[in-house]
Parts: sequence; structure tokens; C-alpha cells
Amino acid sequence: MFVTALRPENEIYSYLPIPTAPSLENFAIALQQIPAVRMLINTFAFALGSTMASLLTAVLAAYALTRWRFFGAKLAYAIIALTWLVPFQVVMIPNYVLVSRLGLIDTITALVLPNMMSAFAVMMLVQSMRSFPAEVVEAARMDGASDWRILWRVIVPNLRAPLAALAILLFVSAWNEYFWPLLLTRSPETSVIQSGIQMFISDQGNRWGPLMAVSSIACLPVLAIYIVLQRQVIDSFVQAGLR
Amino acid sequence: MLPFLQPRAVGLLNYERLVTLPQTGQALRNTAFYLLGLLPLTVALPVFIAILTQDLQGRWRNLYRALIFLPLIIAPVVAAAVWRWLLDPQFGLVNAVIGAFGLEPVRFLNDPNFALWSIVWITGWKLMGFSTLIVSAALSSINPSLIEAARIDCASEWEVTRHIRLPLLSPTIFLLVLLTIMVGAQWTFTYIHVLTQGGPLDSSTNIYYLLWQFGFGSLAAGWASAAGMILFVGFGVVGLALIWIMNRVTFHDN
Repeated sequence: MFVTALRPENEIYSYLPIPTAPSLENFAIALQQIPAVRMLINTFAFALGSTMASLLTAVLAAYALTRWRFFGAKLAYAIIALTWLVPFQVVMIPNYVLVSRLGLIDTITALVLPNMMSAFAVMMLVQSMRSFPAEVVEAARMDGASDWRILWRVIVPNLRAPLAALAILLFVSAWNEYFWPLLLTRSPETSVIQSGIQMFISDQGNRWGPLMAVSSIACLPVLAIYIVLQRQVIDSFVQAGLR
Repeated sequence: MLPFLQPRAVGLLNYERLVTLPQTGQALRNTAFYLLGLLPLTVALPVFIAILTQDLQGRWRNLYRALIFLPLIIAPVVAAAVWRWLLDPQFGLVNAVIGAFGLEPVRFLNDPNFALWSIVWITGWKLMGFSTLIVSAALSSINPSLIEAARIDCASEWEVTRHIRLPLLSPTIFLLVLLTIMVGAQWTFTYIHVLTQGGPLDSSTNIYYLLWQFGFGSLAAGWASAAGMILFVGFGVVGLALIWIMNRVTFHDN
């Protein structure tokens, strides 16, 4: 993919592993045809926004579900777990109607909105908070700390590792999200980079060079995360699967 | 669907129409094919690879991990673009290899006989790494003294795998089967949308894609919602049944 992105037009179909005359022409074409920089900024805002929002809601929900005894706690957890299994295709129409009623079509807020709560994140955090030693929480309570204080001063700093793992996972999946942005956005200026890639695929023929150039750009951030945080990324995926 | 229209109550009409549409039957059959086609790629092959590569060490381990991990984290659209290029009937690498054996080029994405299986392969390729990681993690949590004991009793490598590793992996294997059946066909969506749009001749569509076409292609939100409800209830029942079977069949090392 990266190699093809560097090939000039007349060499696209060669099978040599290295281009004879590497050029950045394809990147230039890609940048000209779609507002790629704008799209990258959108994607970044969307991914960061939904990661932060769902981390926050998940921390709060997980604390309530593990530390408080209240009527229907088990039921609430079961319902949250069930929503994780509901296919996105089933909820897309209600979500779409809701967002359009709110007048948010074609905005990044609308993209983030349904991703503000992730059942998966709640489930993962409930697991790690359950294994958090209760004595520590009790001790803090003896010292007169409120729930709010216990959560942010005692539990969250100690759960840094699982939180980081979760954040990586949420960020990568939001970055790769394609379906929901596709539904919502109307103009290239508000799209994410994943839709940008699709603009180079058509039935009339494919612009392989620019296509591969955009794909490379879209992959870079995720690859960078992987290379820098290799261990943590793998661990977070493994943990996610072993639930 | 359109914000300015008032909803009308139509009773079960949407459900009736849905059941009588020929596309629905085709989509349901295809969904079954997708699931059957995905199982070997997301369950059997990863178990095999994980057991084979369990003893890899050091640099090779990192390399192999990177190899199976990359498909997992790259965006589905990017994966679709790359496969579209590889499977191109005129210039794609895959057809170049087929051509080298003197065979006719295959139009993987435009031939009704191949489109579905091409999508199955791409989806499976993307998920294989995830399953392999999970199985590897489960394998390394097996108590090594069990395997040691069997080796002392002169068990062959195959016997160790058959009688110790596989039974202890059974919860993991069932989990993967469950995941594949419950959400596997959903993951095909992006590939179908980018590569075939459900065609040619509806040969690669499935129930999720049909839902999308009803909802946003022909703006028949009533049909789409009815299909959504059927899907939700249907998969709920299948999921509960699978969890019930899982609790009966799997074996835990206590």
C-alpha cells in the first residue's frame, strides 16, 4: 500500500516491490481532490471526543455499579451488557431520527453523541473495579472522603493501566469507524478520513495511486500508536477478548 | 423517516411485506453462508496457528505478533481498498498468481459465484489475528505441569494437544464461536458496502446490508425497523441458546 502510494501513474500496475522513481505526486493529487487535512482533523476530534466521553461515563457507571447497593443494580448491569450485543444496524435508524430532530446532521457533535456511552467500556471497568481492594475504599471512607473524592483520588489513579488500555481500544475503533459518519455527513468538509478513502473507489474505475495515498495517511496514526505502545495495545486487545 | 411526515399506525403490515419479499430470503440464506464461512477462519485456523506458534520466542514472536495484529487495527475501509486492489481482475496480484498457472483470471468481486466468498475471506482475514491472540493468551494460561506430566507418561505431541490443550481451550473456543455467530456478519458490512454493494444479483448481500438498503437506500424505514426487530429477537434467541450449550459442554480446569 505504502509502496503503491509512491508510484507514479504509469507504474501503478508493476509488480516490482520498489518503485523505480518514487514520487509524492499521488499524495498531492489526493490532497487536491479531497480536503484531507480537514478530514484528519475531523476524525481526530471525533475519535478523541468519543474516547473521552465514553471513558468518563464508563468510570461513573462502573463506580455506581460496583460500589453502591441499590435496587435493580444487577438488572441495570444486565441491560448494559445486552446493549453491547445489539447490532449497530438495528439502532441506526432511531439514532438517525434522534440526531436529525436535534438538528445536528452534518456536525461532529452528532458523530460523537451515540458513542458517548460504550457498554463495552462499562463492562471492562466494572471488572477491574470489582477486583480493586475494598479495604482501601473503606479506609478512605473512614477518613471522611465522599464518593466523588474516593472515585477520583483513590480508584482512578490506581486503575491507570486498565484505563489506558481501554482508551487505546476506544480510540482505535473510533478512528476506524466508518458507518455512522457515512450516514451523517453531507459534505467533504465534515466527513472523516474513512469516507475520504471511499471517494476514490468507484464503479467507473479506481484511482489506485491517490487511493493508496489516502489509505496510507489514514493508517499512519493507528500504526504510530501500535509501534509506540506495542505491548499495551496487544494486552488491551487480549484483555478485551478474555472478558 | 422523513422528519416532516407524521407516522401512521399500520399494524403488522411492515412485517408481512418483509416476509414476502424475495430479497429477505436471499439475505437470510447469505447470512447463514457468511457465518458458516467465517467459522473456520475465526475459530479453527486461529486455534491451529496459536498451538503451532506457542513456543516461538524473542524476535520471531514480535514479528509474528505484528503480522497477525496489523489486519486487526487497520481501518476496514483501508482493508477493503487494499483487497480491491489485490483482487483486481486485470492487474491484481492474486490474479497474476492465478494467471501464472495458466488459468483464466477470476473476477472475484463481480462474479456471483465468488463475491460472497471473497467478502468472507476478507472479513475472516481481518478477524483471524484477534482470535489467534485470544487463543494464545488462553494457551499460555494452561498450567504447564499438566503438559509436563503427560509428556512424562510418554504422550505424543498430538495426544497432548488432543487430550489436554483442546479440552482446556474449550471455553475460549466456544466464546469465539459465540462471538462469530453473534457479531460476525455485522463485520462484513463495510466490505460489502465498499466492494460489492450487495451485488452482483444480490449474491453477496446479507441481512444487515439489507437493513441498511431499506433504511437509507429506499427510505423504507418501516421495513428496516421491522427487519431490525426480527434480527434483534432472532439473534437474542440464538445467543441465549449458545450460552446454554456453552455452560453444558465446556470443561474448566479448577
